[in-house]
Amino acid sequence: MTTFPFWSLAAENRELGLIAGVLIGFGFGFVLERAGFGRAQKLMGQFYGNDMTVLKVMFGAIVTAILGSVVLSGAGLMDLRAVADYATSETFLWPMVVAGFALGVGFVVSGYCPGTSVVAMASGKVDGLMTVVGVVVGQVAWTWIETVPAIARFQNSSNLGHVYLYELLHLPPRVGPAVVALAVVAIAIGAFLAAERIERALARPEQAPAPARGPARLVFAGFAAFAAVGLATLALPTGTAARPAAPAPLSPLDLARRVLDEPWKVRVVDLRPMAECAARRVPGSECVPADQLAKLHLADANGARDLVLVAGADLAAVPPAAAGYPGKVRALQGGFPAWEAFALRAPEPPAPGAAPEERELYRLRAGMAAAMTGVKAAPPPPMPSGDAPPPRKKGGGGCGG
Amino acid sequence: MERDPSKFWNPYLAGVALGLVLLTSFVVMGNGLGASGASLRIGVAALGAVAPSAVEQAPGLAKAWSHGHPFDFWLVFEVLGVALGGFVGAYTSGRLKGETLRAPGFPRGRRLLFALGGGVLMGAAARVGRGCTSGQALSGGAMLSAGSWAFMLSFFLGGYAVAYLVRRQWR
Repeated sequence: MTTFPFWSLAAENRELGLIAGVLIGFGFGFVLERAGFGRAQKLMGQFYGNDMTVLKVMFGAIVTAILGSVVLSGAGLMDLRAVADYATSETFLWPMVVAGFALGVGFVVSGYCPGTSVVAMASGKVDGLMTVVGVVVGQVAWTWIETVPAIARFQNSSNLGHVYLYELLHLPPRVGPAVVALAVVAIAIGAFLAAERIERALARPEQAPAPARGPARLVFAGFAAFAAVGLATLALPTGTAARPAAPAPLSPLDLARRVLDEPWKVRVVDLRPMAECAARRVPGSECVPADQLAKLHLADANGARDLVLVAGADLAAVPPAAAGYPGKVRALQGGFPAWEAFALRAPEPPAPGAAPEERELYRLRAGMAAAMTGVKAAPPPPMPSGDAPPPRKKGGGGCGG
Repeated sequence: MERDPSKFWNPYLAGVALGLVLLTSFVVMGNGLGASGASLRIGVAALGAVAPSAVEQAPGLAKAWSHGHPFDFWLVFEVLGVALGGFVGAYTSGRLKGETLRAPGFPRGRRLLFALGGGVLMGAAARVGRGCTSGQALSGGAMLSAGSWAFMLSFFLGGYAVAYLVRRQWR
């Protein structure tokens, strides 16, 4: 896979990823400073109408990032949905509305938001330092308050999962992001023009903003050009958007973990012939032979659960009947034989003194095999005495089938 | 380069630059920008240094404490970069200066109290909302997450709702 993102924080290149994190943060801090976001009065102008820099910079950044990611994913270089699911939190509607309001109040009272307060602190502003301290105190203090049952209930209420604007508008997943991106561009340009008007109307005589129409036009033209490119990528019939891509593989180990730990987040569909599936299958899976897949009407199904397809061997392409599934589609790596080898045979116990991960894996596999075959495997050798943490209980819990 | 503390980038160009940083973050890290998440780790590390037992008792903190060092988290490194970038930006623009920003005549002590109080409120809100202006509004907004947009609209609403009450702080 050569598509973005690079997943710089994957375990094998974590140190490099952390260096990249510092560099990206440097760019973030430098741009915020140059935009004037290290100065409370500059930020607060937004709320008194005389300086709408916050709106312009935020919307400008959002529009740039949306257009960039839509163009990259339209060209097949970026997996937009994967990045979005990883980079954003799930939607907790009411907690987010309340938190947004409280954060806006805190912003005007303190003069900074958590990010800009770091920039203000670094440029010597004592009020910025106080805000940084306040945010740390607030974050830590709330970890106690959020254990109060009533507050915990509210904080975890109205969880809609990962939901995006293009899904709320019921747009097809292939073009939805681009359509909403274009709408956001249009709204942003409207907001920019309105902001310019408000600034001119409310400008205080001693700080009349210098008219900067040249760069503004340039940026608008740039957005329009990018939007056109975004539209063009939609029209390309050969783009990855239209090609039935090979489904993302899911290893037997990952499937086992998901089936045992969070079975409510996966929908496992077994495409093998009915007799084979009826004999042996992944716990919780539906037996739907490949030729009957269309009967599930997957395009109209709820996409909240990941669809995992189990075939007799590796799946080369997503069947057309599953291609319209609104959620993520994964295929069991190696098909059912790989599952059989992984979960239905008693594993070799690890050697005494094996690494905790290896012991953990053995427990999981032994639990799977025992639950599904009814044959108990040998217990793992005793833990070496020391300060290693006790292994978490996994596997063998009531999901065997 | 000429240093002029009153000179800022054109806001539209700054927006594009910020958007490119954000896009780079999505592409390279597979993750958006953030700020408040690092604050928790810093707080956990500070509290853990003076009162480890208190950290172990709070479920929200123990999670950040037990998975290796609390600083082994990419947002901590990213925020370190933010501070460095802010410092370099302020130094090269002539805005690096120890001061407390407030309206002329507004008492310094009260301004610092407001800054602290507003910070505490934002810290708590960022936990309820799973992120702050950077992580939720900016990064989530750019990924078109529905919750992020609700958060962002509510954020501006909250700001406008109380702006009048604290206006003496600023002008």
